[in-house]
Amino acid sequence: MSRKATVDEQIGSVTDPRDYRKTVIPELQDIDTLLRCNICKGFLKTPVLTPCGHTFCSLCIREYLNREQKCPLCLAELRESMLKSEFLVNEIAASYTKLRPKLLEFLNVEKGHQTQPVEDSSCMEIEHHLASSDRSISRINEENGDGDDDDIQIIETRENRPSKRPADAIFASAKKSRKESPQSGITSLFNRAKSPALHQPKLADCPICGKSFPVEVLQRTHLDECLSKEALDKPEDISSSPVTVKPALNPVSKELPTIEQPDFVSTTHYNRYLESTSNGSVTRLAKINFSSTSLQQLKQKLSSLKLPTAGSRQQMINRYNHYEMLWNSNYIDSIDPVDESELRRRLASWESNHNASDIPSKSGFISKFLIKNPMKDFKTDRFDRKGWAQAHQRAFRRLIREAKTSLKKSKKATSEHAGSLEQEDSTHLNQSVSSDLSAVPSNQLVARKDNITTCSQGSSET
Amino acid sequence: MSLKRITKELNDLGRDPPTSCSAGPVGDDLYHWQASIMGPPDSPYAGGVFFLSIHFPTDYPFKPPKISFTTKIYHPNINANGNICLDILKDQWSPALTISKVLLSICSLLTDANPDDPLVPEIAHIYKTDRSKYEATAKEWTKKYAV
Repeated sequence: MSRKATVDEQIGSVTDPRDYRKTVIPELQDIDTLLRCNICKGFLKTPVLTPCGHTFCSLCIREYLNREQKCPLCLAELRESMLKSEFLVNEIAASYTKLRPKLLEFLNVEKGHQTQPVEDSSCMEIEHHLASSDRSISRINEENGDGDDDDIQIIETRENRPSKRPADAIFASAKKSRKESPQSGITSLFNRAKSPALHQPKLADCPICGKSFPVEVLQRTHLDECLSKEALDKPEDISSSPVTVKPALNPVSKELPTIEQPDFVSTTHYNRYLESTSNGSVTRLAKINFSSTSLQQLKQKLSSLKLPTAGSRQQMINRYNHYEMLWNSNYIDSIDPVDESELRRRLASWESNHNASDIPSKSGFISKFLIKNPMKDFKTDRFDRKGWAQAHQRAFRRLIREAKTSLKKSKKATSEHAGSLEQEDSTHLNQSVSSDLSAVPSNQLVARKDNITTCSQGSSET
Repeated sequence: MSLKRITKELNDLGRDPPTSCSAGPVGDDLYHWQASIMGPPDSPYAGGVFFLSIHFPTDYPFKPPKISFTTKIYHPNINANGNICLDILKDQWSPALTISKVLLSICSLLTDANPDDPLVPEIAHIYKTDRSKYEATAKEWTKKYAV
């Protein structure tokens, strides 16, 4: 189980466009996907544009172009010199990545607000209510891209308040505000900035902070909150997201400090974009034709770049090639280039990882097994698959048979019962396989045992 | 890079499994996966479950994954060792492709074989000249090895 947990942990750290599926605005999935590189599937880092109109991370596409000179998406011919940096996309991706967790937290229907587990259920219900029973208002949310709406305002004020209130009361207020005037959502969205007077019947100013709130909220909670906040000197505004803070505060009197917050975030990226220039001062590092380069010349080239000259010729070539990629990506594509010493540090860390992966102990049982075994080209076509299949035919057959029986059993039995059966099966198999194939290393057998659990799990999914 | 990308793909498959396919790592080695494909209903492989082994190279996704059938299958583009003749697993590989897409391509290869670029010329010949015989043999093998 611990082994499964490590895989699950790794999966847990992955961000996915489908994170938006269970939110109020599942359409955001599209933007999330568009801002990702099609090679690494992560958010675009130092994006570059190809002549065929596709965008990738600078390092991803440069590494690929070292092997194949074509666009990964449309397979059109492509060379490194054709790449153009996209500062705007860079800033959009960077600011979106920063915003993403807050956006998700705010829009998430199912998980609610993780930071406030006590109020989870009521928040969830309200947002459910928003999404289901009143389509018009939730549609407004979607169209406007943020939740600038009366109902959300109520959620928000509730969030800032440390004390609890029964969920029905919130429901009542949420319903009330909508029932009173179905148009208020729309009008408030468009007119709030111009004419806050429209809200006067519903709102009242807080005597302490001067901001406007619905009367009910003001009386019930805000006054207490504001008094305690006064003492704390408003740390909550900073901790909560700009998206959630904004709708809570009406632009009546003291709007400046809070409006400034989101503006500050966007201007950093906007200014970076405005101030961006191509780095004309630093020249592109050229590719070397290594077949006509002597070892001496190679060492000279490396030391002129202050790179180590240790290792075999091939290691030096790899080192130069990777450094050339880092250099060009940094000085030609990046909006904010780092200095050479940082590049050398990155090269060193790449090299240590890269060389580590050649050491068998670091890369799973397959390579361990291969080092021990003469059949080193296991993954190539030269490998004698037929011989391998024949040698382990019985084990493979047994595996498939066992997997199928465990699948059938698990279909019939309850999930708990099936789990115990599966375990029995695999231990039984482990014993019998070890008698069949005493030559195979024991870690191989462990993996086979897992084979069964994996495939039975996989099949039961489908 | 490769590990991150493989983890993402695993997450993808877990959330959104492609129709009639499944895949997942063998133990804790994320570079070695096992996959299963259900025989497409409109093919002689209907009713069978075919297992495949997937090996990711350390420089994935720049190099294609090595995929081979571990279940015996009678198909012009798949040989006795389970090797698959599929362009996207060789020269037409692109790092924009994913395991999910590759598995779907293998599914469609099962429905529509490509006898003009065969890996097993004998089967390709029968496929072209005597389609019913090919289908009968494929059904028989499916029953024998994949059910």
